[in-house]
Amino acid sequence: MYEYLNNIVGNEVITYFVVAALPLFLVVLPFALIAVLAERKVSAHMQDRLGPMRVGYHGILQTVADILKLIQKEDIIIPQADKKLFNLAPFLVFIGSYAVFAALPFSSKFIGTNAEVGIFYILAVSGFVVAGILMGGWASDNKYSLLGAMRSAAQIVSYEIPTAIVVLTLVMITGTLNLGTMSEQQTAYFWNWNILGGAGEGIQQILLIPFMVVAFTILFISTLAEVNRTPFDIPEAESELVAGFHTEYSGMKFAMFFLAEYANMFAVSAIIVSLLFGGYQSPFGYLGNTLGIPALIPFEQLFWFLSKGVFFVFVQMWLRWTLPRLRVDQLMTVCWKYLIPYAVFNLLIVGIITLI
Amino acid sequence: MREKETTLYFGPQHPGITGNMMVKLKVAGDTIVKAETHVGYLHRAFEKLMERRTWMQSFPIVCRICVPEPDPNEENLARAVEEIEGREVPERAKYIRVMVLELSRLAAYFLWMGGQSGTAGLYTVPQWSVGDRDYILDLFEELTGGRIYHMYIWAGGVRRDLPEGFADKVLKTMDYIESRLPEYDKLMFDNAIFQKRAQGIGVIDKDKALEWGVVGPPLRGCGIKHDVRKDEPYEVYDKLDFVVPTYEGGDIWARAMVRRKEMEQSISIIRQVIEKMPGGEYYNKVPTPLNWFVPPGEAYVKTESARGEFGYYVVSDGSLKPRRVHVRGPAYVHGVSLLENILVGANISDVAMIMNSLGVCPPEIER
Repeated sequence: MYEYLNNIVGNEVITYFVVAALPLFLVVLPFALIAVLAERKVSAHMQDRLGPMRVGYHGILQTVADILKLIQKEDIIIPQADKKLFNLAPFLVFIGSYAVFAALPFSSKFIGTNAEVGIFYILAVSGFVVAGILMGGWASDNKYSLLGAMRSAAQIVSYEIPTAIVVLTLVMITGTLNLGTMSEQQTAYFWNWNILGGAGEGIQQILLIPFMVVAFTILFISTLAEVNRTPFDIPEAESELVAGFHTEYSGMKFAMFFLAEYANMFAVSAIIVSLLFGGYQSPFGYLGNTLGIPALIPFEQLFWFLSKGVFFVFVQMWLRWTLPRLRVDQLMTVCWKYLIPYAVFNLLIVGIITLI
Repeated sequence: MREKETTLYFGPQHPGITGNMMVKLKVAGDTIVKAETHVGYLHRAFEKLMERRTWMQSFPIVCRICVPEPDPNEENLARAVEEIEGREVPERAKYIRVMVLELSRLAAYFLWMGGQSGTAGLYTVPQWSVGDRDYILDLFEELTGGRIYHMYIWAGGVRRDLPEGFADKVLKTMDYIESRLPEYDKLMFDNAIFQKRAQGIGVIDKDKALEWGVVGPPLRGCGIKHDVRKDEPYEVYDKLDFVVPTYEGGDIWARAMVRRKEMEQSISIIRQVIEKMPGGEYYNKVPTPLNWFVPPGEAYVKTESARGEFGYYVVSDGSLKPRRVHVRGPAYVHGVSLLENILVGANISDVAMIMNSLGVCPPEIER
């Protein structure tokens, strides 16, 4: 994609900026707009309500109105706060979740940077989020913020371990760290997806299926914890910690946290999709191939990638409104006593199967 | 190594707290070392106010003592006055009173259910339960004119007879609520995470429970069968067929299940009441309120409210106004002394859940 844009723009530096900004304008912002509304609508219909109905048809412009309101709001910084860190924190959190989008394969022609260490890079940059949250919680000079930040840091750092182990399992099968290549390998039809044993052959593919399902379960649970969603929304547990690390934030700074949360939701769904559910590949083959228009294929791929990602985002919302949250110690128990041992065991078995 | 202790002010403007009170927590890490309740944000001096009002004027303010469930207050004051006066209450009024009390118990349990799951982080049940409670409030609105504060039960009977076709509406609402209960089971009571959060947390020692003065669902959650409706039946409870559910354990889970089972019992009681309700008078008229002298005497009456045994001690000196009305509510025991005891050793995450499961009601603590 970079070469293609470079041909149009003609200047390397400008092209870099354009490439860097594309996911933001094409995916992150529209997604956040839609997802916030979708969450309110999904929750409303699960709770026998209607949700926002006033702004626009069935409230479709509600998020726009909310953003306008947030822009107008006073940016309150309490005098006791550590001003520099307080201002820096929301941006760090946003950078952490936005940088992930650079390595996501939206389609075969649209990857921000087709780095060879794609998934490794994603695991690394998402660490920014922890730093930002800790910073915000510390700088707020509020006990609830600090507690939320500490819990959040403990939670995210712990759950990165099972995530990394599951990713390792998949890297072992596919033999690559590049998410683009990984998606490329799960070609065309859904029985080639990694969740169904990948593009392996015969008995090996069938043997892998149960272990891939285990891998998916572990990956889904731990990514859910990494983005602080229910049942793991302990850092911002309303009835316990008011709003956790962003209690003292208001206006656009709060909106940055909010945006980062929704961007993160999509990012982790996209990672699950690229690792296990065929990435941008269509489950049934391409319309472009049938019609003989190859130019259509990248757009179809973009469509499939987004819809698979949005499906997992919906599952996250669904869980949020049907499950209570865990207690802090139970959260750690789930991670250290169950997820990590199972993930390691899974890694071992998958390793043996790939050797056969 | 001993962890450094921090003071955490939990409330009064905390989303996890049930009303207007504050708990000052000393925490070491996530564990509570010491809890100190601070009340006084909601004191309205009702007991004193009543000494300046005529007997009839006292009825509209007692119902404000407990917001989620006002009717036991009216019932208590009415029965106390009747006991002092020796006033007869028509049979029909007694049945109507039981129906109103049980409806308000259901409404209070719906509100509790929302609070309990809301504090556990499950925000769908509050929306559902507040919505379903609204159907009961609709009934109250038709019967009494008020949705929350009814001012319906008064000395000598009730204020109004049942409207035309009201019994059928009550039965219909009961059918609806009964059909909804399994859905709450699926979402909340059978939810593995909710069970994990609730079991073994906020345990009340069975041996200490009576000594501490625990009443109501928390006491029945300890496995002690105590219910004023059974032990010292008032109104027509002795003519009705119901059981008092008890659970062992004394934890949040046991209390939740006691309430859940009592909802079924309440529905059955309301059905029986409607079936057995006789005709006739509904009100044994008292004299003009400005000329209503209650003879000297005193009475202690108690009612089983949704939070437990609710007592009123009323003294009359023969004048137009009460000499003294003392309210002995369950929330004072549960929300102050018991809460301070059982919060020690709990996790910060459980404070809101424990408070809610005890039925802490700040307006009733302070009156």
